[in-house]
Amino acid sequence: MSFNRRQFIGGSAAFAGAMVFGAPAVLGQAKPRVVVIGGGAGGATAAKYIAKDSNGAIAVTLVEPNAKYQTCFHSNLYLGGFRDYASITHDYGALKKKHRINVVADRATKIDREKKEVILASGKKLPYDRLVVSPGIDLKYDSVPGWSQAAEQTMPHAWKPGAQTLLLKKRLDAVPNGGVIVMVAPPNPYRCPPGPYERISMMAHALKKARKDRCKIFVIDPKESFSKQALFQEGWEKHYKGMVEWLGPKVHDGLKSVDPKTNTVVTGFETYKNAALVNVIPAQMAGAIARDAQLANASGYCAIDPASMKSAVDPNIYVLGDASIAGDMPKSAFSANSQAKVAATMIRGELTSSRTFDARYTNTCWSLIETDDCVKVGGAYEAKDGKIAASSTFVSKTGETAELRKQTQAENMGWYSGITADIFG
Amino acid sequence: MVALCVSGPALAAGDRELGQHLSSECVTCHNPSGKNAAGVPQIAGWPDDQFVAVMNSYKEKQRDNPVMQTIAERLKAEDIEALAAYFGGLKPPKEQVPAKRTKGRER
Repeated sequence: MSFNRRQFIGGSAAFAGAMVFGAPAVLGQAKPRVVVIGGGAGGATAAKYIAKDSNGAIAVTLVEPNAKYQTCFHSNLYLGGFRDYASITHDYGALKKKHRINVVADRATKIDREKKEVILASGKKLPYDRLVVSPGIDLKYDSVPGWSQAAEQTMPHAWKPGAQTLLLKKRLDAVPNGGVIVMVAPPNPYRCPPGPYERISMMAHALKKARKDRCKIFVIDPKESFSKQALFQEGWEKHYKGMVEWLGPKVHDGLKSVDPKTNTVVTGFETYKNAALVNVIPAQMAGAIARDAQLANASGYCAIDPASMKSAVDPNIYVLGDASIAGDMPKSAFSANSQAKVAATMIRGELTSSRTFDARYTNTCWSLIETDDCVKVGGAYEAKDGKIAASSTFVSKTGETAELRKQTQAENMGWYSGITADIFG
Repeated sequence: MVALCVSGPALAAGDRELGQHLSSECVTCHNPSGKNAAGVPQIAGWPDDQFVAVMNSYKEKQRDNPVMQTIAERLKAEDIEALAAYFGGLKPPKEQVPAKRTKGRER
C-alpha cells in the first residue's frame, strides 16, 4: 500500500478508504507490532493501554534509555521539601512483567519512515506497523544569549527531570540569606505552563522555611502574562511578601544576556550581578527524534490529527504529549496521558479492528503555592474545526477559603498517586 | 489491572465495553488500587445507583468540584450508566484507605 502526502491531506474520504485497505494487510501478518519511543507520561501510557487492552494481540515495544523515570510533575514539590526524590521516581517493572511490554533500554536515534523501522543507538532495528513518538521536549540552548548546554551546570534549567532536578535543589539549599535568585522564564509554547510559577512558590517556601526570608527572587519573563497569574500573585503577596518580583517584558525591557562565569543576568532595565542562583528555563521544541524524522513543522512541534493524535504527515505514526501541537491543551503529563489513551484506542482499532470511540481529552494542572494552599486549572477538549479545542474550562478563584485550598492539595496528591499508577502500574 | 478488568456480576444495564473505554479518563486520578488516594475517592465497586446519582449531581452542578463538573458535563445518560456498570463490576480494593490525609503535608 502506498500512501503519499497528497492523499493523506487530500480529504477524509481518501484517508478513510486507505485505512480500510490498511487493516487487512496488517492483520495478515503474525502479530501487529507497535513501537513506542519515550517512556514518559505519553509513551508509557500508550504502551500500557495498547498491551493491556489488546490482551497480547499486539506486540508492544517501548524504547526508553533510562531505567528509572523521575516525573517532572511534582518535581517542584521536591524542590520545596514536600516530597522526597524517591517518591517522584518510577520504573518500568510493571510494564514489563504485568503488561508484557518489551521494554528496550536504548536510545532511538532515527526513524526510517519508508522502511517503517526505528534505529537504536546500538544499531538494532525495530520494525513497526504503527509507531508512537512521545519524546517530550528538547531545550533551545541558543535561545538565551550567553547560555549553553555546558552552562546548564552553573545555571541549571531543571526542565527535564533527573540530574538537573537534584542540582537545582542543591543550589537552592545553598543560597545564603539575602541572596538573589534570578529565574529566566520561557516563551510560549513550553512544557507545563504554570510550572515556572509553582517553582518560584516552592523556592520561596524553602527559603522562608530555612529562615532566609531576606532572599529575593526576580523573574525575568518574556511573556506579558502567565498561567494562573492572579492566583500566584495573590499567593506570593500573602505568603512571601517582598520575596518575589515578577517582571514582564515592558518592565525589564528584554533579556540581553547571561554570564555563567559571574552568574550575571543583564536585562534592558537592570543588571543582576553575582546572583546566588540563576535558573534558566529556555525556549523549547519537540525532541530531536521527531524533528529529525520531519514530523515537526516550522514551529518546532508536530502537527497531529485532533481526532486520533495521528501525525499530520505520516499515517503510520502517532505523536503524543509535549512534542505535539495539541491545540488548546497545555503541554502537561495529564494531557499526554489523556492523548495516549485516544491514540491507543485508535491504534488497536486499526491493527485489530477493535471498537473505537470518538476522541475526548481532559487535563487538570494543580499548583502548590504554600503548605495546604493549592490551586488548579483544567478543561475538557474535543476535536473541532481541525484542532483539539476546549469545550469547557475552569480555574480556581482568588480569595478561596483555606479549607478549599487544602482540599485541592489533597486532590493534587491523590492525582499524583492515580496518574503514576495509571502510567507505570 | 488485568484482573480488575474481568467481568463482575452482570447486574447493570450499562454498556460495559463503553464503560471500560470511558473509565480510562477516570483512572487518571481515581487509582483503582485505592493506594495513597486520600484526596481522591476510591470508586471501584460502587453500587450502580449511587454512582449514577453522584455523577448526575456533578452534571447538574449540585456538587462543587469543577474537575468533576467538567467531566460529568459531557457524559450522556448512557455514558454514566456504562461507567456505573464498569466500576460497579470491579472489586473494591481490600484495604480501604482511611479518610485522614497522610500526604500533602511537609515531610
